[in-house]
Amino acid sequence: MTADTRQAGTTLRTAGAPQPAKTPPPLGLGLGLGLGLDRDKLFAARLQAARARPYLATALFALHTVESRRVPTMAVDRHWRCYVSPAFVDRTPVEELAGVWVHEVSHLLRDHHGRGDRVARERGLTGAGERLRINIAADCEINDDVFGDGLVRPDGAVDPESLGLPEGELMEDYLRQFRLGPRTQSVAWLDCGSGADGLEREWDLGPDGAHGLSAQERDAVRFRVAQGITGRPGTAPKGWQRWAREAFHPPQPWRELLGAAVRSATTGSGAGEDYTYGRPSRRSAGVPGAVLPSLRRRPPRVSVVIDTSGSVSDTELGSALLEVAAISRAVGGRRDLITVLPCDASAEVVHPLCRAEGIPLVGGGGTDLRTGFATALRTRPRPDVVVVLTDGQTPWPDTPPPCRTVVGLFPRPHVGRSWREHDPEYVPDAPPEWARVVAIGSAAAVR
Amino acid sequence: MPAYPDAQLDVAGELLALLRDTTTEPRPDTQLEALTLAVAADLPVLLWGEPGIGKTAALTQLAEALDLPLTTVIASVHEPSDFSGLPIVGDDPAEHGVPMAPPDWAVRLVRAGRGLLFLDELSTAPPAVQAALLRLVLERRIGALRLPPEVRIVAAANPRSSAADGWELSPPLANRFVHLQWTHDHEVVVRGLGGTWPRATLPRLAPERLPEAVDFARRAVCGLLSARPGLVHRMPGSETRRGGPWPSPRSWEMTLHLIAFATAAGSSREVLSALVRGTVGDGPGLELLASLDRMDLPDPEMLLADPAGAVLPERGDLRQAVLDGVVAAVRNRPEKSRWDAAWKLLVHALETGAPDLVVVPATTLASLRQEDWDVPASIERLAGAVKLSRRADHAAARAAAVADAGAGAGAGAGAGAGAAKAAR
Repeated sequence: MTADTRQAGTTLRTAGAPQPAKTPPPLGLGLGLGLGLDRDKLFAARLQAARARPYLATALFALHTVESRRVPTMAVDRHWRCYVSPAFVDRTPVEELAGVWVHEVSHLLRDHHGRGDRVARERGLTGAGERLRINIAADCEINDDVFGDGLVRPDGAVDPESLGLPEGELMEDYLRQFRLGPRTQSVAWLDCGSGADGLEREWDLGPDGAHGLSAQERDAVRFRVAQGITGRPGTAPKGWQRWAREAFHPPQPWRELLGAAVRSATTGSGAGEDYTYGRPSRRSAGVPGAVLPSLRRRPPRVSVVIDTSGSVSDTELGSALLEVAAISRAVGGRRDLITVLPCDASAEVVHPLCRAEGIPLVGGGGTDLRTGFATALRTRPRPDVVVVLTDGQTPWPDTPPPCRTVVGLFPRPHVGRSWREHDPEYVPDAPPEWARVVAIGSAAAVR
Repeated sequence: MPAYPDAQLDVAGELLALLRDTTTEPRPDTQLEALTLAVAADLPVLLWGEPGIGKTAALTQLAEALDLPLTTVIASVHEPSDFSGLPIVGDDPAEHGVPMAPPDWAVRLVRAGRGLLFLDELSTAPPAVQAALLRLVLERRIGALRLPPEVRIVAAANPRSSAADGWELSPPLANRFVHLQWTHDHEVVVRGLGGTWPRATLPRLAPERLPEAVDFARRAVCGLLSARPGLVHRMPGSETRRGGPWPSPRSWEMTLHLIAFATAAGSSREVLSALVRGTVGDGPGLELLASLDRMDLPDPEMLLADPAGAVLPERGDLRQAVLDGVVAAVRNRPEKSRWDAAWKLLVHALETGAPDLVVVPATTLASLRQEDWDVPASIERLAGAVKLSRRADHAAARAAAVADAGAGAGAGAGAGAGAAKAAR
């Protein structure tokens, strides 16, 4: 924060003439014009923000402030520069500025620019209007739990409630749920900069400007913040704790994981396509004296045991079942080599599903998972892989079965509640060590 | 138009020549630089990348740079005996054993004595072929032949999501590789198809920096592992991280080698980050990088010895880490002279950077004051920080009043008071 900063804010890197500033909202205008940036007020606000949210202090201090008259309020770019409008600092009380600081740094920590770019690419969102929607959706993701507890909600901060949306979702989800319209009119001047939606702004100093953080440095700051949160849980709200858990281990889509688990189980030795010395290769005749293996295929046999109470939604169960069936076919299993065994409680859910998809259904799954396993292993020829789709509220077999096991585990309803709230008597066992477990559910993006 | 078909082919040849006529431009390439260092360090590398994104082109460039002849072997079109050797049954197997005859390309490679062997499409080969290939990569043996040390091996695989048959490495094998994620850069591809391909300047090891590089790498790894014993060995737990890198004494040794190579080549942190995270995994890799950042910070004792000539980092979070370190050093060995030096440093920090960073260290330093110590005169110049702190307190109080939550204001009140008391 030395003299060169103050220059950086006012000198333009582009050779063109300065464009007129965007019109800020018509309140308090003219108060700060002609005056420099009130740095003391801005930093007092940052200090208050760091005190109210100690786990974000590292990130707050890592931001490099740049004074800019072209920014409507405060904005960040992906290189962790924070562009500040002097007029905005003048007309805003310190406690609200503190809220804005935390809000802006949240955009960067949650990688809204990277995610915004990705979403825009995936869904073909182009144009400034769509970027504004991304910015608003990102604001909703942050604002539902960032204020309060020592921070004041800044004037005009957009939150899911004001758009009639539920709280606690992610930017990607919010994006699908609103359009620009009368409800968003009031926030149309809002602009958190390229750090919030990925679109370069005219005031951005760009990657070559001074004091930008490189990708690795940004990762390092994020990592330190995440470590601070996971190291001292209890101080940070749930949203931040979840972010810290997933910041460097984003959850993979369950389809991929389940697919990989089933595939690697079905292509293990003894099933699928592999070389064997059990039969001589037909080439052997041409190479006297050499012993050549031959390529053999044995289509894998897959048994799917389904044991769910009514708590799993049909769509999730259906999609998991289809996934398993599709993978088994992809690795060369014929349709008649897949069998489905519903255990008692789940029978009425599974029957129509299998009928609709033409998957053969074998009755007699038994009353719980253990009998389901036993039945599956009694079928001749014996399966190479048993895939279990369950919600986990079940007793597991004591001994590992003599074939590979993949468990698709449906999330319990009411995530975050302990079991004892539902049912003080019964705590189900975790899936055993010998199975590969994939949690099935909508894997969200990183918060 | 001539009626001869071969003349047509000549025209086609001309057109092809025009299409191949491309230029190159220098462009930094982090992933290629990381690959070069890993190959130079003679560690087994596994490139994870989608099919068709130019891995082979990168290897060609690398082979040119290292001046090694490139042999590409596409694993999925070979049989296991191509890598493990053909068992040739002789006259008396019980007497002589059964020799395993190597394929011709391996013989040529051994005869040349040097080369870059690229094993492509590892993940689409049948399991027996993969097993034979891994033996080649890890034990450097093909049949009865042993590859000379001058032959460097790079393997490539498709990530699990796009692999047709769900191939994955078992954790013990995954631990032996440096995993590099290979992605394409949209801009590079578009410019390349437009006729300008990037030309990466590859890292060069500086002979004069070798001892220093070894020393730095050892300090970095040993420093982290002595502070965090839990990181020495940690098997991958979750389904997500199967088949990826994880920390073990072996992979830490590989990391140490890579840090030394990157230091000797003067590579950027981006390159080092890719290498380290690809060897011990994301979490431990980031911890190591964070501790390297701390090693780069000025030593608190040096700063206390010469507060006037101190150069503090520009970045706010690093600056605060340094100041915290200085205060901690004074707390560990409280002496009047060191306490005074720390105040000088804080004043220096206040004059050269953001004032809000100084408040917490100043408060802590004030609380370290002992009965017979006089307050240094320089403390007057910290008045700005005290004012700032009070201002933040008032704002916090107003916020608490608005939310009547009443949390978060208590911490600040002490800070202003402490510094003010010291200033009196």
